[in-house]
Order: sequence, then C-alpha cells, then structure tokens
Amino acid sequence: MRRLVPFIVLVVAVASLNGWLDQRFHVRVLTLAVVWALAGVAWNLMAKAGQISLGHSAFVGIGAYGFTILLRGGGTSPWIGMAIGMGVAAVVALVIGLPTFRLRGFYFTLATISFPLIMELLVSHYGDPELTVPYHPESEWRFMEFSDPHTYVWVGLGMLVVALVISELIDVTSFGYALRAIRDNEVLARAVGIRTVAWKSAAFMISAALSAAMAVLWVKAVLRVTVAEEVFGITVVIVMLSVAFVGGVGQTWGPVVGAAFLIPLAMFLDDSIGESVPGAQELVYAAALVLVALLIPRGILPAIERGCRWVATRPGRSGEPGGRGFLGRLAVPPQQPSPFLRMSRRRVRPRLPRPSDAPVLEVEGIAKSFGANRVLSDVAFRIDAGRRVGIIGPNGAGKTTLFNIITAHLRADAGRILFKGMKVDRMRAPRRYELGMSRTFQVPQGFHLMSPLDNVVVAAIGASIPHPVAASMAMLERVGLADSALGELSALTTAEIKSLELARAMVSEPELLLLDEPLAGLNEAERARFFTTVDELVTPQTAIVVIEHSVRSLIQYVESVVALDEGRVVVQGPPADVVSDPRVIKAYLGSRWMEHARDQ
Amino acid sequence: MVEFLQFLVPGILIGGVYALLASGLGLIFGVMRVVNFAQADFMMLAMYLSWALFAGGVGLDPFLAVPAVFFVFLLLGMAVHWLFIRFVIGRRENHDAQVILTIGLGLIFQNLILIKYSSEPRVVAPSYANSGDFIADIFVSRVRLYAFLLSVLVAALVFLFLNRSATGRAIRAASENWEAATYMGVDIDRTNRIAFGVGVALTAVGGSALVTFQSITPFVGLRFVVVMFAAVVLGGLGSVRGAFVGGVLIGIIQSVSQVWTSAAVKNVWVFALFLLILYVRPNGLFGKAQRAI
Repeated sequence: MRRLVPFIVLVVAVASLNGWLDQRFHVRVLTLAVVWALAGVAWNLMAKAGQISLGHSAFVGIGAYGFTILLRGGGTSPWIGMAIGMGVAAVVALVIGLPTFRLRGFYFTLATISFPLIMELLVSHYGDPELTVPYHPESEWRFMEFSDPHTYVWVGLGMLVVALVISELIDVTSFGYALRAIRDNEVLARAVGIRTVAWKSAAFMISAALSAAMAVLWVKAVLRVTVAEEVFGITVVIVMLSVAFVGGVGQTWGPVVGAAFLIPLAMFLDDSIGESVPGAQELVYAAALVLVALLIPRGILPAIERGCRWVATRPGRSGEPGGRGFLGRLAVPPQQPSPFLRMSRRRVRPRLPRPSDAPVLEVEGIAKSFGANRVLSDVAFRIDAGRRVGIIGPNGAGKTTLFNIITAHLRADAGRILFKGMKVDRMRAPRRYELGMSRTFQVPQGFHLMSPLDNVVVAAIGASIPHPVAASMAMLERVGLADSALGELSALTTAEIKSLELARAMVSEPELLLLDEPLAGLNEAERARFFTTVDELVTPQTAIVVIEHSVRSLIQYVESVVALDEGRVVVQGPPADVVSDPRVIKAYLGSRWMEHARDQ
Repeated sequence: MVEFLQFLVPGILIGGVYALLASGLGLIFGVMRVVNFAQADFMMLAMYLSWALFAGGVGLDPFLAVPAVFFVFLLLGMAVHWLFIRFVIGRRENHDAQVILTIGLGLIFQNLILIKYSSEPRVVAPSYANSGDFIADIFVSRVRLYAFLLSVLVAALVFLFLNRSATGRAIRAASENWEAATYMGVDIDRTNRIAFGVGVALTAVGGSALVTFQSITPFVGLRFVVVMFAAVVLGGLGSVRGAFVGGVLIGIIQSVSQVWTSAAVKNVWVFALFLLILYVRPNGLFGKAQRAI
C-alpha cells in the first residue's frame, strides 16, 4: 500500500496538469519533465549498484537512430523500432559492461565516457550526422504521430509508470539486495555469493533498454529530428545526472522528484531570459549539481527521510521517543526486510557433496608475490571435516593473504586448492562461497547502509537459502543480536560486529569456516565466549580455520596449528609442539631472545 | 616514410602539449584522489585569457603571456579548491559528490563564457602563426614547435619543483600516502590547495600553448577532456611522469592514425586505446598494482 501512494500521486498530478494546461509551451514543459524523469529512472538503475555512468547517451543515441533508420527505410512503426532499439541497446550494454564492470570506482566512470563519443564520431563520419523523421499523418497511433500534443504526455506517463514499476520490483527482490550490497561493499558482496558482474550486467541492460525507449519518445514528441550531436551528446548525461542526483541517487522516485523541480525551472528560465542568456538551461543543471554535491550529496528524498526520522525519534515533551504528529507518521519505519523476499522460494542450487575420502580443504604449493615482494611461497596444509586448524605467525607472515587466496579474493601465482576434492582454482569468490566456504575479515566488513538483519539476508540470498529472512533472523537470535536486528550498523559494539560477521558467515551453513583474527578487539569475557558461540553454530562436520594472534586462546581451541613466517610454513602439527618449536619462537621473538626463552 | 614522419613529428609536438594538459590532471588525482572533470574547462578559460590578452588591445603574444596565465590560474585553482573541492575530499562516500561537483563547475565555466563571449570561435593569430621550416624534408609548424618547447620547459620546472622544494616534497609525500604524511607534520589541506592550484595552472599553460593553432569556443574543453583522461590513465592514474609520457603517446596515435583513416575519426583511436588500457592495464603502463583488501 505504502508503495502505491507515490504512483497515485504521480498519475493524478500529471493527469490533472495535462488536462489543465493548454498552451503549447506548457505542454512541452510537461512532456519534457516526463521524458527526463523516465531517463533519470533508467540511469538510476545503475546507480543502485553505486555505478555512476557517464555513457548513457550511447543508448539514447542507439534508440533514436534505431527507430529513425527503420522508419525511413521501411516505414516501420516507431513502436517496433523502439522494441528493436531497446534490444540492441541491451546487447550493446552487455558487450560494453562485461569488460567495464571489472573496473572499480573512478575507472568505471571514466570508461563509460568514451562509448558515446566513439559512437558519435563514427555515426557522424560514416553515417548521417542528422536524420529527419518522416511525417506519417495517416495513422496517429501506428506512427506515434499525434496531432494533440497532450497524447505524448499520456504515452510518456505510461512509459514512466512502467519504468517505475520495474525499478520498484528490482528494489524489493533479491536483485535489489544484490545491487545495494554491491554499492555498499563490493568485496564483501562477492564474499557472500553475490555474482557482482551478472547483477550489474542485468541492471545495465535494463537501464540501457529504458534509455533507448525514452529516446524514441524524446525525438517523436520534442526534437522531431535525430541529430547525432544531440542524442549522443554529453548534455543527455548531464540532465540524467542532474535529475537523479537532485531527487536521490539510486532511489526509485528520486529522478521523478528531480525532474519535477529542475525541468520546469530550466525551461521557464530559458523561455524568459534565454534570448539574452544563451546558457541559462545548462546553468540550472550545473548549479543544481554543485549545490547537491556540497549540501545534500544523496539528494532531496533521503534528506527529507532523514528529517522525518529525526522528528519521529526526537524525544517528545513527556520524554517518550517519537514526536507523533503528522511528520512522525510520515517518517519511515525501521528498515523491514522486503515482504516480497519473504514469499520468494528460490531454487536452492544443490551443493555438491564431498567424497567421503576427500579432506574439506587441501592447499598445495601456494605462492604469491606483490611486485618484488614475495608474500607466500610453497604453502601447503589440509583440513578434514570437523577439524579445527589454527594459523599463527608474526605480522606480515602472509596469513590473511593465504585466506584471500583460499576464498579467491586474490589469485595465487602458483599452487592449487582443492575444496571437497574439487579443483577450485578457476572459480571466483561467489562460486566458492556457494560451494560452502565462508569467512570473516580481519577488519570487520559490513554493508553500512543496511540493517544488521539485511546484512545477513544478503548472505542468505547469496547462498540461495530458501527462506532468507527467516533463516537470517534465526541466525541473529542464535548469536544474540535479535534485538538490534533492525537498527543501524554503526550502533553495534565491536563484539556485536564480530557476532554479526559470524552470523553472516554461518547463515550459508558452510562446510569450511575461515575466521580471520576473530578475537581482536574483544575483552577477556567476550573472548572466552566467542569460540563457544562458534561451536554452537557449526555442525560436527564443519571444518574451521582460525588466524589468531592470541596464541593462548587459540591453542585451547584448535587441534593443530600451522606456523607461517615470511610466507613459508615453518612447522605444523599439534599445538603444544608447534608453540614450543624453536623456529616458531625465533620467528616471533627474533634470535636475540632465543637464549632468554630457552631459560624459562 | 617521409609521409609517415610528416604525421609522426606533429604528433610528437602536439603530444607534448597534451602531456602538459594531462600532467595537471594527474597531479590533482595523485595528491587528492579527485578526478577533476572540470580540468578541460580550466584549459578553456586559460585559452580565453590568452585570447583576451592578445586581441584585447594589449597585444600580448600568447607565449609571452604564459607566466601571467600560470599565476592567475594558480590563484584561481587554489580559490576553487578552497571554495568547493575541499568539502568533498577524502571519504569514499564523497566519490559521487566529486564527480557531480566537478562536472557542475565545468558546466558553469562553459556557460558563463558562452554568455560573455557567445559561441563564436575565436582565434589567436600572431604574425608567425602560419610559418614553419623544413627540417630534412619534414615541415615543422613554428607555433607547434614553440608550444612543444614551452611544454617541455614547464614540465621540467614542475619536476624540479616537486623534487627539490619543500612544498613539492610535501605534495609527493601526500600523493604517496596522505595519512603517513599527516603524521610527519604535512598540512594536508594546504598541500591539497597548492597541488590543485599547480595542477590547474599546468593545464592552463597547456591551454595557452594551444591557442595559436586551436580555435577557441566555450565548449572546446569537451574535445580535450577524454584526451587528457586517456593520457593520464595510459601513464597510470596519479603519476605526473606517467601522464607526461601518456600525453606524448596520445599525440602520436592521434596524428599517425591519419595515415590510415580520416582526420575526423582520429579521436576514435584515442578513445579505443584509452579503453584498451583501462581493460588490460588499469594501473597504466607504469603503475603499481594495489592490494585487494
């Protein structure tokens, strides 16, 4: 119901404006507002995954040129041209996206700039820099040739509503969870089974298709002629960025709010002073971008939301939280997981069984260098089902690097990894997680824009657990975090963050659990409790590898220890033997203290 | 062969200017991790300043105006940093804000100039603009040669500044590891401000080197923005020396591609190379690999 209200508001507002306005210029402003809202919604799909694209004019250009060429060539209906353009744009998005998504942060944004520039140059030079759209008055609907300009607004409104429904559907399903996880912490997302490239590609393809659809409406209703410089131009991207960032980047309704503000402002300014001030429209977008960047980088909608939440949670006069009132009711309730997710019963990919004679993990001859710096050489160890192995070594010995190689966050230079008897060297992180490998991090990682519950839900989705929300809630109860499940991540203590990491790692029911310095930052009592909690969560078959500096706590818990020094296995075996081995003492203390240690 | 060299030599010459344009962008990214999308618009502003000094009664030769341009843009860059950029530096959440802020600033520059000077192309034509010399059968345009020599000279001075002066060392320290630099008593805000000013000024000087053979419009920056990014990425984001080498390479590719394809699509080669480098060696030809986590 809550999600229906904005749709009703939008339709009522546009419909009444469309009925009321009759000056040609006003209808044109309304049309453009709808067109750019649609463009912004399309662009924003990528922003949901935190990807800022400056290349969307490539898809707008494909849509515009596609339908124009088909209409000129064979008199194809623009509707069919639109469908074909959307398909082509989606395929181009896939081709562009696959290599580009490997790039993080700035590199992605930089790479996207060049695609429309290349296309514009090629189209202008080898094709036509300008194509007129032939006039077909014989059939209004078939050729999208409406004599009444109001009809374009109806068509645009219909397309906008479809785009918004798509965007909402993405938000409430595991698709949206995956995109938000990627935006928040891509490394962690991959560690909990989110196939980042696949999800980003899907979002990019839908986004591209919607951009191409928007182009047909834009050309038919407003431009009337397809100009390469315009449809492939940077201004298209600027307007998309402006409406999306002003309203709320990554938010489904953000571009609608942004377009409702900016487009009329820019158009009326252009109309009144455009004669003497030629760049007035662009200045509106530019000023909006600068102001948003400095004042409300996430946009208007999140700013309003935060304001409402502040009003709602502000202590009232009686000291009770919640200034009830109108704003209080408007305030967004704590982030509940999507109810749609609760209903979804995803097919669980059957996890490949482990042959009874194979160890859970077998690592052989692993070597890794960063430049000239050799971090690991010829590391080998194995762990059987239900066993616990500790890894110790001084700082810089290569312990975390070894974990990163086991979970595919880094690629080894040499050696091989067998998981449940399978060679997994070529598998990426999400696949290894699906097969039953879970980890925690030395520096605890989290999705900071999500509730603790959603942090675990993402991991459950990544492992295709059938009832992700119920399973995640149960896991939080078992680690004692049920009360803070819907709070803010930043409100958790170090011990609670560690428990959350454990819950996130355990929700996939892993066969191999890798714990990287789980006791760091915990006090005596919390340390004593930690491994007890682990034992309550695991099955007798779970193999556990622990990196830990607190050797005393570690040797009470594990059955064997691997000691690393300068990237080599110095010694491995039962804990008591390893910690008394002179080579281990030397690695930790240096030879100068050897005599001293022997005396004790 | 002569035909090939006739494309290669101008390519190297224009590449020297690209190198100077790009080294400013590279310096700014290296020190404060800000990708400045307004960089090419600072270049455009500098071109207008050179034009105004030349055509507006003073009659100052654009090459002689370089010191003035440098100092004006050093101050302008520091002011823009102080007014805007410093608020969006640092945290990862600011990444989006940096992108839209610098895009917005660039647009504002373009449109203010459009309002003041209209979109009519402006040219700066000193008396020697069309002259040149034959060196072993290869025609070398005099203004392009001067532009190249100027760029090399300024680059050498910057190199000295970064390596020899205390401020320069602070800038290099900050670009290596700003957190460690603060522990060593480097005032990061000041270092960033100076680096932004110097970075903008370098690109500005590159712009005034261009005016004798590149007509000026408010939107001229768009034609250079990707060329600059390509040069910076080619040399490794954040490395000033890499940006310089990258700039020369881009100039050569742009020019030599005309042996095979029309001059109108010369930038397609640059963009394609840019993408190729991003995909194959995102850390640039000379960049270092970074740790995963």
